[in-house]
Amino acid sequence: MCILTMKKVLAILLMVVAAVVAPVQATASASSEGEGGTPGFDIKEIIFHHLGDAYGWEVPFSHDLRIPLPIIVNDSQGGWHLFSSARLEHGQTYVDNGVTYRIAEEGDYSGKVVEVAADGGEFRPFDLSITKNVLALFISAIVVMALVFSLLRYYKRNGMRAPRKGVGALEALICFIYDGVIKDTLGAKAPKFAGYLLTVFLFIFVMNLLGLIVIFPGGANLTGNIAVTLVLALMTFIITNVKGNKHYWKDIFWPDVPLPLKFPFPLMPIIELFGIFTKPAALCVRLFANMLSGHMIVIVFTMLIFIFAPFGVAVTTGTTVISVMFSLFMLMLDVLVSFIQAYVFTMLSTLFISFAVEEHHEPEVKTEQ
Amino acid sequence: MELFTPEIGLVIWMFVAFVLLCLVLGKFAWPAILSMINSRGELIDKGVVYAQEAKQHLDNAKAEADKFILDAQRRQAEILREAARLKAQIIEEAKEAASVEAQKVMDAAKLSIEQQRKEAELQFRNEVSSFAISIAEKLLRQKMNDDKSQSKLVEQLLNEMETKN
Repeated sequence: MCILTMKKVLAILLMVVAAVVAPVQATASASSEGEGGTPGFDIKEIIFHHLGDAYGWEVPFSHDLRIPLPIIVNDSQGGWHLFSSARLEHGQTYVDNGVTYRIAEEGDYSGKVVEVAADGGEFRPFDLSITKNVLALFISAIVVMALVFSLLRYYKRNGMRAPRKGVGALEALICFIYDGVIKDTLGAKAPKFAGYLLTVFLFIFVMNLLGLIVIFPGGANLTGNIAVTLVLALMTFIITNVKGNKHYWKDIFWPDVPLPLKFPFPLMPIIELFGIFTKPAALCVRLFANMLSGHMIVIVFTMLIFIFAPFGVAVTTGTTVISVMFSLFMLMLDVLVSFIQAYVFTMLSTLFISFAVEEHHEPEVKTEQ
Repeated sequence: MELFTPEIGLVIWMFVAFVLLCLVLGKFAWPAILSMINSRGELIDKGVVYAQEAKQHLDNAKAEADKFILDAQRRQAEILREAARLKAQIIEEAKEAASVEAQKVMDAAKLSIEQQRKEAELQFRNEVSSFAISIAEKLLRQKMNDDKSQSKLVEQLLNEMETKN
């Protein structure tokens, strides 16, 4: 009890100190920038910078240092180029094998590597760079593999004994998804799709959680990036339609509806056909929007401090306390959302797959009744 | 908007990473993990059933043992009762046999005593008669000679007889 209160007091003290120090620093840096003639903060740009991708990975507690990452591009002539992102820092240009590169500061390709033509025009090369997001992707995949293989190693070492602690929690999670979602929905076909669905769940979950950690191994807004969720939804789309049986296709092109709805004008088939694409699209957008908004709201709460910085110390202090509290709360909520979104994605994927592969018996049952 | 346009490089890397992850885990991890969880579940189910059966057996065994003990006690009591009955019977029979035997022996003894007495009487009578005859003979002989001697003889004979008896 006593220790708890001590901890609480310490936490409050820390928050107060942070609240007092942060705005002072912020005003100081803002004023110094103001003196330099540049406009203060471009809040929008900072937010979108944090939500977007980057060619280097921020070093914790430093404004300028970046962990350099490899840039891999295919230029307009079809030649491949590989160089470090450190060469393009701070708007520098870099000439690699006669092709000039820089990171565009404005225009359509803002923040992306572009090839600078002789006449100053910009050309966006085919970009396979290991960006921050790509590296985070690899880290997430490695973490997932490490987790799963740690469970496997436990089984190899301990045989039939049930795992405890961390490994036990992981197993409970896997059992929760497999027994509660996959087996319940797919029944006998569960083992066939379990590999994909369990991988999807763990991968999304790990990516979500890593995104919430603000320093190096995490911090990339991966599942809040539409490319990532697009691929995930695409996988579900491919599996659903490749594995779909004839009942599935019959339900799309000749559904059990009154004849006027499908002939002569195929209204229902058209709607069903759209449904094929809207279902994975909804999957993609749901995960993307949820995670993006989670990240965004935390950053916005943090930015509030700097927005209110010009209004004096008292206002800033108050804003800081409230902002920190809210962003902490939102981060905790995001932990919950991370799980829920991974769960929902898996559940809906399972559902779509089960619609596609299940043997239909309902119509016959209805006619019998 | 940059946020809403998927970056082709990231799409490709994501596709590659995810497919690889799916293949690796789907090939090496998930089947093994799921079969392991499944077989452990079955083992636990089996264990529960086994424990239930064992408990039932134990309960049955106890009831059976109780039954056996009760049965044994009943039989013991029966045997004891039978033994007591047999004992009484044997004693009774022995007593009867003994008394019959004793009666027999006594009868035989009586008979032999009677016989001997009769024999002795007969003998005694014979002897007395023979003595009397011989006395009478001698007396007769003495009488022929002398009275004195005759009486003397009679007396002597009588004495003899007395001492003899």
